[in-house]
Amino acid sequence: MKPNLSVSIAGVDFANPIMTASGCCGYGEELAVIFPLSKLGALVTKSITLKPRLGHPSPRTAETSSGMLNAIGLANVGIDKFVTDKIPFLEKQKTKIIVNVAGSKLAEYIEVCARLNDFERVDMIELNISCPNVDEGGMEFGADPKMTEKSISEVKKVFSRPVIAKLSPNVTSIVEIAKAAEQGGADAFSVINSLVGTAIDIETWQTKITNNKGGLTGPAIKPVALQMVNAVYSKCSLPIIGIGGIQSAADVIEFLLCGATAVQVGTALFIQPDLPVTIEKELKAYMKRKKLNSIDELIGKVRKY
Amino acid sequence: MIKPTADDALLVRKRDLKNNYYSITFKPFTSAKKCKPGHFIQLQIPKTDIFFRRPMSIASVSSDGDIEVIFNVVGRGTKLLANLEKNDTVNILGPLGSSFSNPKKNEEVVIIAGGVGFPPLMYFATELVKSKFPAKQIHFFYGGRSKDDILEKSRIKKLGLNFYPITEDGTFGEKGLVTKPVERFINENEKSKLRIYSCGPTGMLKAANEIGKKYNIPGELSLEAPMPCGVGICLGCIVELEKGGHARVCAEGPVFQIGEVKL
Repeated sequence: MKPNLSVSIAGVDFANPIMTASGCCGYGEELAVIFPLSKLGALVTKSITLKPRLGHPSPRTAETSSGMLNAIGLANVGIDKFVTDKIPFLEKQKTKIIVNVAGSKLAEYIEVCARLNDFERVDMIELNISCPNVDEGGMEFGADPKMTEKSISEVKKVFSRPVIAKLSPNVTSIVEIAKAAEQGGADAFSVINSLVGTAIDIETWQTKITNNKGGLTGPAIKPVALQMVNAVYSKCSLPIIGIGGIQSAADVIEFLLCGATAVQVGTALFIQPDLPVTIEKELKAYMKRKKLNSIDELIGKVRKY
Repeated sequence: MIKPTADDALLVRKRDLKNNYYSITFKPFTSAKKCKPGHFIQLQIPKTDIFFRRPMSIASVSSDGDIEVIFNVVGRGTKLLANLEKNDTVNILGPLGSSFSNPKKNEEVVIIAGGVGFPPLMYFATELVKSKFPAKQIHFFYGGRSKDDILEKSRIKKLGLNFYPITEDGTFGEKGLVTKPVERFINENEKSKLRIYSCGPTGMLKAANEIGKKYNIPGELSLEAPMPCGVGICLGCIVELEKGGHARVCAEGPVFQIGEVKL
């Protein structure tokens, strides 16, 4: 029997559990040149804000041990241009579309999500309440249970399809924030966003990125992400999309076993832009070898001591 | 954007060009036929913990799949590349970025190369000569700190073009910076239609940009930037544009028009 890779999250069906992570695939245009986006379970766009943002000046990325630091600063075209220039392209893609939304004030999130509600092909919204790069907001939303609950419940009032809360690892208890998001009416979690970090050039004594601190991503954060996925899975009931350092099907399987229903591939796309295609093949082969019929048979099945 | 490929290739030739410069040729590069001068590739360094690929300009490509890069050892990544041996496997992603546009038949081509920025310009000049563009209309100004920083002299001269080496210490060619002989050439050829092509250190690119604007000469500059992805998705290699906003060196560039970028 052919293994079935399809998964379902909050009533949305995905051809496979492999998605691209926000901020690692733009609006899909570049990757579409490299491989058909129908190979993805979903494409998650770069964070969209109310107004266009240029982001931070260069340098805004730095290579680190087994990963990278970035403080792009939510550079994006803004909701107006996203609607006119990017949605027509995304509507043509044979994959599910998840739009990541960010802002510095709750009113901005609400306005952007209300605009997106008009576009049926925007299957889900992923709320970036955990971006570490915007001083005036972002982080505080995701670090405070009350603000998390409120922001999600307000967005749910204006967006009629499922809303995913993207959780920050930079908190004392990710489970507490996850519960608040659940209380606010979230339909799923993305776990985790980047870890805050920095890097310094010892010749010039200068920080390596202009924002001085940034989000650490890549394989360096995978063990942290796996543990947090499992912690949220154990204490909450919503489906989880696992994120953090995925580079292969083996990594994907670890996330599924920890409780993720789907995963997002991010930083690894910068090295191998068609990696989702390889992962899908490897995942199928693994399921055949283990005689698994569906992804469900893996979700949360980690055996613990 | 051209659809790039990411395939393994073997190191077939390594030349030590002295002074920490190396030429490495890989084969077969799947997309050799799609390459144009100015394009770059991303090399994945094998057997290391180096996380990202390393972007490299193309020095030459043959139709049967040889691809050559010439680089200077500047850090751990380039050091590891320099240590590769014959038959080592390297994964090559490319071709990437924008390429040089061709000059018009009646134009004199003013090439301003600096240091290890010369490879894409040597590739460009080679392809122009191959396409029957008159070599005597190509003027290759090549600046470096010292004699050993001017690489592949005989190879460039062999193209039959006008070669003007310049060194800061005067150990080879004219003494000083490239800007002076370039401006002299421009003044001596006031009546000719000129087009500038430049690649090199930022200071030299700035000068080439200013010369282009001052004498109203069109042309192109090839920029360098550290870049995680090379395909336009990470937004890590941005430059500021004169008209406002950003451009990605890997996607809109590396080749930009004179006057386009704030240098």
